[in-house]
Amino acid sequence: MTSFHFDIGSRARHAGRFIGRVRGELLRVLAEKKAKAGLPQQVLAEKLGIERSLINRQLSGEANLSLRSLADLAWAMDMEISFELKEPVARAGQNQPILNQPMTTSTVQYGQIKYINGGGKQVALFAVPANPETVQAKKSA
Amino acid sequence: MTTIEELVEKNAISRIEVEMHPRDQALRLLYGTPGFIAWLGELAKDSQPERRLGEATPAEQVDELFNTFLSGLPLVYVKQFRSIRAEKNAVWELKTPDIRIFGWFLKRDCFVAVFGNLADEVKDHDLYRGYRIAIRRLRRELGVDETLCVQGVTPGDVLSL
Repeated sequence: MTSFHFDIGSRARHAGRFIGRVRGELLRVLAEKKAKAGLPQQVLAEKLGIERSLINRQLSGEANLSLRSLADLAWAMDMEISFELKEPVARAGQNQPILNQPMTTSTVQYGQIKYINGGGKQVALFAVPANPETVQAKKSA
Repeated sequence: MTTIEELVEKNAISRIEVEMHPRDQALRLLYGTPGFIAWLGELAKDSQPERRLGEATPAEQVDELFNTFLSGLPLVYVKQFRSIRAEKNAVWELKTPDIRIFGWFLKRDCFVAVFGNLADEVKDHDLYRGYRIAIRRLRRELGVDETLCVQGVTPGDVLSL
């Protein structure tokens, strides 16, 4: 086996990555606030009237983060929340989901040819990979 | 001198991929030993919860961690990755709330995973020392102790941040 695709399914993938993105954003802002204004978790905890360890566990993923606690944390950090649901937009040149990708091959030296639009009319798009080794691995797969 | 390609050819390690966002390209490389990939396969089987109102499952956490790693996004030092011991040819740990993954960096931005386990198991049975010794032994057997192993132990030595 030259490569293994870790596939947990679309539903689980969306959930896990959304949760991770929310936590990552909270951690990022908290780190920025701490660096700029010296705002440690202890100050947030005092402002919200909760234990610092709870904030720590919420941010590390060891405790549930409800919409209420998310809103509270954003308020305590003096931040607004932006939330939006939108239709996915397909753009020329972007990757295709594995299941809808009928054929992928590589040129001899560099750049990847992707055939889109299923088995019907095929359009070839060239994408230059960030890392040539990535292409090498796909060739050998 | 052993190369990554040789390790792949003799099935000592395999590339690990996850489905990435259509706009993303893999900017880092992730490999796993056959044992780790078998563990990963088992983890993926339980990835679709029938009903869930709470937080991410272990499989979802690992998928998110791998996606972050492969996409070249920043990982939080200590919370998401750290070296087991500050030493030359260190063994490193990738972390999620419920999962610990042990391995080493073949080179910067290129990690090979050897062991995965539940965080509680690792902590309850203090498995850090055993994993570290087993990984050092594996590297010796593969002949990569010096050639394919990041020497430094600072976050910037192993990841482009």
